[in-house]
Amino acid sequence: MTSPLTRVRRPFASAEQEAAGDPTPTAWISLLVRRPLWRSVVLVLLLILIPLVITGATFTTIAVYCLMYMGIATAWNSFSGFSGYVSLGHAVFFGVGAYTMALLSTHWNMSGGLSMFALLPLAGVIAALIAIPYGYVALRTRRHTFVVITIAFFFIFQLLAFNLSFTGGSAGVVLPNGQFSAADYNDPFYYACLVVLVLTVAVAAGIRRSRFGLQLFAIRDDEDRARSLGVKVNRVKITSFAVSAVPVAMMGAVWAFFIGQIYPQFAFNPALDVTIALMAFIGGFGTIIGPLLGALVLEALQRYLNLYLANADLYLVIYGLLFLVVISFLPEGILPSIAGRLRQRRLRSQNSTTVSTQESR
Amino acid sequence: MNLIEIGLIDGVLTGAVYALMAAGLTLIFGVLDMINIAQGIFVILGSYLSLILEQHLGIGLLPGLAITIPVMFLLGVFVEWAFIRRIGAENRVTMSILITYAVMIVVEGVLLLTYGSNYQSLSASYVTNSFDLLGHYIPEIYVYGFILSVAAVVVLYAILYRTRLGTSLRASMDNAMAASLVGVNVKRVSTLAFGIGVAVTAIGGMLFGAIQPFTPNTGYDLISRLLSIVVLGGLGSVGGALGGAMVMLIIEDVVSTVWSPTWAPLLYFAVLIVVLLVKPTGIFGRQAVRSQ
Amino acid sequence: MRTLERIIVHRDRRAHRRFVRVGLTLAAASLALAACGSSSASSSASSSKAPIVVGTSLSLTGDFASNGIAFQQGYNAWVHYVNAHGGLLGHQVSLKILNDDSSPSQVATNYQDLITTDHVPLIVGPFSSLLTVPAAKIASRYGYAMVEGAGGAPSVFSYGLKNVFDVSYPIKIAVVPTAEWIASLPKSERPTTAAYVTSNNIFAEPQIAPAQAVLQKAGVRTVYNQVFQSETTDFSPLADAIVASHAQVVVLSSTSVSKIIDFVKIFTASHFYPKVLIGTNGVGEPTFVNAVGKQAANGIIEPNGWYPGYKNPLSTTFVDEYLKLYGGSAGSITASSAEAFGTGEVLAQAVEATHSFNQAKILKYLHSGAVFQTDQGPVKFNAKGENVDGIVQTFQWQDGGNKLVQILPKGSQSVAPLFPRPAAD
Repeated sequence: MTSPLTRVRRPFASAEQEAAGDPTPTAWISLLVRRPLWRSVVLVLLLILIPLVITGATFTTIAVYCLMYMGIATAWNSFSGFSGYVSLGHAVFFGVGAYTMALLSTHWNMSGGLSMFALLPLAGVIAALIAIPYGYVALRTRRHTFVVITIAFFFIFQLLAFNLSFTGGSAGVVLPNGQFSAADYNDPFYYACLVVLVLTVAVAAGIRRSRFGLQLFAIRDDEDRARSLGVKVNRVKITSFAVSAVPVAMMGAVWAFFIGQIYPQFAFNPALDVTIALMAFIGGFGTIIGPLLGALVLEALQRYLNLYLANADLYLVIYGLLFLVVISFLPEGILPSIAGRLRQRRLRSQNSTTVSTQESR
Repeated sequence: MNLIEIGLIDGVLTGAVYALMAAGLTLIFGVLDMINIAQGIFVILGSYLSLILEQHLGIGLLPGLAITIPVMFLLGVFVEWAFIRRIGAENRVTMSILITYAVMIVVEGVLLLTYGSNYQSLSASYVTNSFDLLGHYIPEIYVYGFILSVAAVVVLYAILYRTRLGTSLRASMDNAMAASLVGVNVKRVSTLAFGIGVAVTAIGGMLFGAIQPFTPNTGYDLISRLLSIVVLGGLGSVGGALGGAMVMLIIEDVVSTVWSPTWAPLLYFAVLIVVLLVKPTGIFGRQAVRSQ
Repeated sequence: MRTLERIIVHRDRRAHRRFVRVGLTLAAASLALAACGSSSASSSASSSKAPIVVGTSLSLTGDFASNGIAFQQGYNAWVHYVNAHGGLLGHQVSLKILNDDSSPSQVATNYQDLITTDHVPLIVGPFSSLLTVPAAKIASRYGYAMVEGAGGAPSVFSYGLKNVFDVSYPIKIAVVPTAEWIASLPKSERPTTAAYVTSNNIFAEPQIAPAQAVLQKAGVRTVYNQVFQSETTDFSPLADAIVASHAQVVVLSSTSVSKIIDFVKIFTASHFYPKVLIGTNGVGEPTFVNAVGKQAANGIIEPNGWYPGYKNPLSTTFVDEYLKLYGGSAGSITASSAEAFGTGEVLAQAVEATHSFNQAKILKYLHSGAVFQTDQGPVKFNAKGENVDGIVQTFQWQDGGNKLVQILPKGSQSVAPLFPRPAAD
C-alpha cells in the first residue's frame, strides 16, 4: 500500500539544527515548514490575499473554479480515495446542492446579496440526508458493482430533475442576479469557495488522522479482514459517504449562484466524477494534498487551454494520449511519481550518509 | 396487435443487440477484473468502420463484418497490450476507469477530427424494408440484428465452453492465481479476452449504426446502459448479459409504448437498484464475485 | 490492526513533511497563475484606428458542435461581407471566437474574458438557448448588448434580462403557421387526429403546445402526446406507439435531427404515411435526406427561419459570401449559419445607426423599436428582446424528395403544399 512518497524518510537533521539556533530567516522558514498548522495558515492567508492583488475577472473566475474543484476533489477523495470505493455519482450531490440553492432562493424571493450564501449549509445537510439511504443501498455491493450503481443513481436524479414538476423541468431555474459590483463580482464566490475548501480540507485531514480514517483505510486494504477485526464496515462506509457529500453540495450551491441559471443536464453533469477521479489520480489517491494539487493544476490548465486553444478536437486527442502516456510511465500519479524520483535522485547523492529504507514493501 | 405485445417484440429484438455489446463488456470484466468505459466508443467506432467500408469501398454491411471484426479484435489486443496490462492490483477499478476513459477520448477525438460532429448513418435495403407480422411491421434490420446477435452470443458461449481457450478463460475468471498455477498463460488469455470483448462491438456497431444515426459523441449514451445491463445480469456472466439486456429493454420498451417514454429509463434504473438490494451480485451473478 | 495503525500513523508523520514541499509548490503555482492572469489583464484595448474586434463564444466541441461550427461559418461570412463593404464605421472587423465546449460554465468564463481581458467593443451571442442566459448575464453585468440568433426558447425571455435580442423568430410560434394551414383546410379534407412527440429540451418542447391548441380548436383530436428523454437511443417503441395510434398529423420535435431521422425510418419501414408529417429541426438539410432517402423525405414539412433558396437581397449576399469562403453548393448551407449572419447584420445596423460602439447607445437603439433587415427577413424587438417581426417560413420536400420548397407564408415565392403526403410505395 505504500506509495513511493512514503517509502523513504527524508533527513531533516539540518533544518532542525538551524531552527535550534538564532531565529535567522532560514530558520523561520524551516520552522514554518515543519509546523503543519502554521504552514496551512500561511497558505490560507496567501489564498485570501490573491483576489485583492490580482483583480482580473478572467483570473478570479478561473480561481473560483479551481477552489471549487479542489474542494470537490478533496471531498470525493475523502470517501473514494480513503475507502477504495470509486464513486461516479458524486455529481448527484453537486446537482442537489445547485437545485437547493436555485429553488430555495427563488422560492423565498432572495435578493441575490451575500445572504444567498446562508443557504450553503442547508444544501450540505440536504445532500447528507440523501447520501445516507443512497449509501445504504449502494454500499451493500462490492466495488465494481458500486461504481455502476452510482451511475444508475446519477441518472435517476438527473431524470427526476428533468421530470418532477417543482424543478422547472428542462427549462431549468434562473437564480436571482448577484448584487455585487462588476469590478469585484467574483470575490464573494471566491471567498465562499475558500471557506468551504478550508473546512473540507480540515475535515478530510482530521478523518485521515482519526481512528475513523484508520478504519476506512483498513476497509480499502481488505474489507473482509477489517470486518473480522471488528470494524463496523457498513456504518463507516455510509458515514464517510455522507460526510463527503456535504462539501460537494455546498460547492454545487455556489456554482448555481455563480452561473445564474441551472439546467438538469449541467447541474447533474456526468463528466464531473471522472474529472475528479482524474484530478485525484494526478495528485495521488488517498492523500490530502494530492487532490488539491491535481484539481488546481488540471482545472487551471483546462480553463486556460479552453480559452486560448482553437482546435479543440485535436486537444481532445492530445489530452487523451498525454494521459495514457502518463498512466503508462507514471502509474502512481504525476506528482507522487515525480516526488518519488526526485527523492531517489537525492538519495543517491546522499547515499553515503543516509541508509535507504527503500523496498521495505 | 396491442401495444404491450408491440413493446415486448421491440424489447426482445433490440435486447439481443444490447446483449451482444454487453457480453463483450462482461467478458472483459470477468477475465481482467476491470471496468471498460471505452466499450461505448468502440461500438461507435464499429459503426464508423462499417461506414468507411460502405462509402469508400462499396462493401456492404454484412460482408464488411469479415473485415471489421478482425480490425476491432486487433485494436482490443493492442489496447490491452499497450495500456491495460500496466494496471496493477492497487486501485485497479479506478485505474481501469481512467485508462479506458483516456482511450475513449482519444478515439472520440480522432473520429471528430476525421468525420466532424455531423450525424452519419448506415444504409442498406434491409434498413428500410420490413416484415409484416400480423399487421405490425418490423424493420428487417431489427430481425437480422436479432438473429446475428443471438448467433454471435452463441458463438461466444461455444468459445467459452467448448474450446481450450474457453477453459483457460473461465479458469482465469474464477481465480487468476490458481489458473496460472495450473499452467494457464493468464497474460495471453487476458489479451485475447480483451480482444474478443472488443471484437463483438464490430457487430454491435454495425447494427447500432444501421438502426440509428450516430456521431462520435453517441458513445456516452451507450456506456451507462451497457454497464447497467452487465451489473443487472451479474458481472462476468455472459448469460447474465443476455438476461440483463432482455430485462432492461423489455421494461423500457413496454413502459415507453404503453405509458411514458420519459419515465421508462427511471423505472429501469429503479428495477436495477431493487434487484441489487435483494441480490447484490445481480440476477445471474454467483454469490462470491471476487473481492479485489 | 495494531500494525496497520502504526503504519498509518507513521505514514501520516511523513505525510506532514511531504505537505511542506507540495504546499510550497501549491503557493508557487497559484502565484504563477496569478502572474499569468494579471499580465494578460493588463494588455489593453484596441485604439480607435485599429480594427474592431467582435467577440463571441461558440460550441466548437461537445453536444452542440455541429451547430456551433455552422454558426462560426455564418459569423465568418458576415465579417467577410462587412469588411468587403468598408467595415463598421470605417473600421475593419475581426472576429475573436472562443470555444465553450457546449458548457455553461465555460461560456460565462469566455464572455468574461472577452469583455474584461480583450476589452472587445462588441459581442455576439453563442449557440443554443441553453448557453444564452449565462452568457447574457455576464454581458449585462458589464452593460453589453447581446444580439444572438439561437436563443429563441421562451425561458430566455422570461427573466427580465434587458440586454438579450434574438434575431430569429420566437421558437414557440414555429409550428403555428402549419397548424393554421391545417385548420384552414375544408372540413372534408382536414385531418382529424394528431400525434405529438418531443424531446425534453427547452428548444423543442415549447413548440408543441401552441400548435396543439390551434389544431384542437379546429377539431383535430390529440391521440398521442409524449415527451422523451434526450438520451434515448432506441425509438422503436415510441414510433410503434405512434404508428398504432394511426394519427393523421404527426409533429416530431427535437433539436437533434438524428431523433427525427429515427422516427421517419421506422414510419417508412412500417408503411405509415400520415397526411401531414412535421419535423421541427434539421429536416431541410442534406443529412436528413441522405439518411431517410428521397422517397421517405417527400412531403415532410419543416418550419425554419431560412432556406438556401430564400429570395431576399441579404440572403443572396449571405449565400455568395458563404460559398466564397467555404465552397460547396448553396443547398448544403444550414439555417444556423444564416442565423449567425443575421445576428451580425443586426449588430452592424445598430452600430451604423448610432454612429458609435457605445454599448449604452446600441442598447437604447435596439430597444427603440427600429426595424432591421437580415437574411432571414425583418427584425424588430419588443421589450423582452423577442423578434416580433420574425417570420416563420415553412418548407416542404416535394418533387419526390428532390426539392425543398417554401409553402408558407403564401406569397410570390411559395408553392402549394403537397397534401396529403404521398406514400412512398
